[in-house]
Amino acid sequence: MSTGEGGHMAVADRGTRKRRVGAKNGGKSKSKKFKTTPSSSDRFKVTTKNKKLFQKRARDYNSDDDEEDEPKKAPEVTNFEKIFTDANMGPNYDVIEDEEGSDQDDHSDGEDHGEIESGITRFSTDDGCNAFKTAFRAIMKKTKGDDTLGPVLSAHKHLIGQKLAEEEAEKKAKGQARKAKHVVAEKGHVKPASYLDSHEKILIGVATKGVVKLFNAVNKAQHAQKGLNASRSKDAKVLKKRRKEAFFSELGKSKTDYKAQKSSNSHEDEAPPAWAPLRDNYMLANPKLKDWDKKQETGEGDDFAALSGDESYED
Amino acid sequence: MKINKKGRVAVKPIVKKNQANVDHVTGDKIPKSFVFSRMKLPGPVRQLQMDLRKLMLPYTALSLKEKKRNTLRDFLNVSGPMGVTHFLMLAKTASALTLKVARTPQGPTLTFKIHQYSLASDIAQSQLRPRCPADLFKTPPLIVLSGFGTQEMHLKLATIMFQNIFPSIDINTVKLSTCQRLVLLNYNKDTKLIDFRHYSIRLQPVGVSRRIRKFVQNHQVPDLRNLQDVSDFVTKAGYGSESEGDEEAATVTLSSDLGRVNRNSTKSAVKLQEIGPRMTMQLVKVEEGLCSGGIIFSEYENVDEKEAEKKQDEDGDDSEEEEEEGEEGSEEDGEDMDEDLED
Repeated sequence: MSTGEGGHMAVADRGTRKRRVGAKNGGKSKSKKFKTTPSSSDRFKVTTKNKKLFQKRARDYNSDDDEEDEPKKAPEVTNFEKIFTDANMGPNYDVIEDEEGSDQDDHSDGEDHGEIESGITRFSTDDGCNAFKTAFRAIMKKTKGDDTLGPVLSAHKHLIGQKLAEEEAEKKAKGQARKAKHVVAEKGHVKPASYLDSHEKILIGVATKGVVKLFNAVNKAQHAQKGLNASRSKDAKVLKKRRKEAFFSELGKSKTDYKAQKSSNSHEDEAPPAWAPLRDNYMLANPKLKDWDKKQETGEGDDFAALSGDESYED
Repeated sequence: MKINKKGRVAVKPIVKKNQANVDHVTGDKIPKSFVFSRMKLPGPVRQLQMDLRKLMLPYTALSLKEKKRNTLRDFLNVSGPMGVTHFLMLAKTASALTLKVARTPQGPTLTFKIHQYSLASDIAQSQLRPRCPADLFKTPPLIVLSGFGTQEMHLKLATIMFQNIFPSIDINTVKLSTCQRLVLLNYNKDTKLIDFRHYSIRLQPVGVSRRIRKFVQNHQVPDLRNLQDVSDFVTKAGYGSESEGDEEAATVTLSSDLGRVNRNSTKSAVKLQEIGPRMTMQLVKVEEGLCSGGIIFSEYENVDEKEAEKKQDEDGDDSEEEEEEGEEGSEEDGEDMDEDLED
């Protein structure tokens, strides 16, 4: 920990001196720390005795490994610095040399400790590590407690709990409302089955019957006019005549014949002719629908299948 | 164009009066429709409205925009000059979804309660090969009404209404190639429900194997790898069921060519394939006016024929109709009570 702070200090110091080499060896904070001590020696003298005391204190505070890192790396750094500063830094040169000197002093100190390892943090049985260990254990031992929040580092635990519970309840209520709305919106909406059930088959049958009826009627009617072009006046006359004949022959049929024919094919049944005039102008001309059920005729089959086309043909 | 001596072009006054409203072949009046709703509909119902608009094509306003503040009168005012003859109004309440079919400008109005519905997209999803040729919606559909022929007057009214909602067909001049779609309304006497279906019509030559039909239709080089001889392609029956059993009733003999495959004087089978929407609905109310006026028929209030006749007689006096209509609600109640007392 303290090494890091020292590093910061070192950086700050260098900043004042406009020396930017520190950026290069940011990782090697150990060496920097030791560099700072001599730089501060401008203000007050550090005797070797004092220095050793400080170092001991620092050693006690830190774990072993941190200190052991330092001696191996320091020389590299200094070499590098040397090259670097030789190349670039004219004015600061002497200062760096000073620092180098101090660094080398430190090396000798650091090498006293012996063990050298780099890059691995290890929990040993030393004091500093113990503190961390115990703290960590204490944290890990802590049970979450019965509150649903989990560990919250706040003084207002209850408040937060309440707020979260409220939010959850709100969300739930909203979700339910949305669900209800969706149910209402989807009411009556049915996804059809991928197969045709019997009811659908019946319906298709009915529809097919209607289409066949219409198509046959169309073919029958248009077969007669084959070869005649309605746009030619001569043919148009012939067509007119034929249609007229067909119309009158239809009219000439007695009512009973018509009914008998109808009942013979029980499925088809037309609206009675009395209704025909109603169809076009009835609802427009007679908006109040007066007597709308009086003109109807009786005697119809049960089933009723009508195509609008058929009717116009019959008319 | 004639050019006068003065060099001016003599322009004939353009007569555009009701030209679009009249069929140029038969001279009949073409019914047109608006499909709209006067409230904000939930998603699926809005889709249903769009499907209904497509169904009513080509004589409908496909992209009609409604606003919340549009009243029925607004639509009515527009409908006059546009020649719109029918209104289809969807309404959704918490309890029910209703479809009102009205004749403009002065009614009557039929109110249907939609019990169940499926969208066109649902039906397309349920099918293995949904069919939608490009010109499917360019011609009006045919309408087939089935089971309506009972004596009840409200059903008769519904029949007339639906017959007139699509342009009528002149059998002497109609081209069968324009008959692409079909709307089926099937009334079930027992449940009093009306099944509303929408089909596309397809004609297929009978007695031709599937391979040859496809070959003629698609104009693609067939795969002959597995065949010993070319004749096998013609003679060998394709696998798969060719359901010829029930097709006897569903065949027509054409008098003219229809497409590439259906030639003159050959037998063709009529095949229907559903294209939504699909609805199951019930006629619940019939009103005299456009969403107003006296109630001719109501499913729930049990207006009997006798009462209807009575009312007609009363209306026959014809002194002050407006007031009578306004008071009819209370009058009906009075009548009901009277009958109870008599019983």
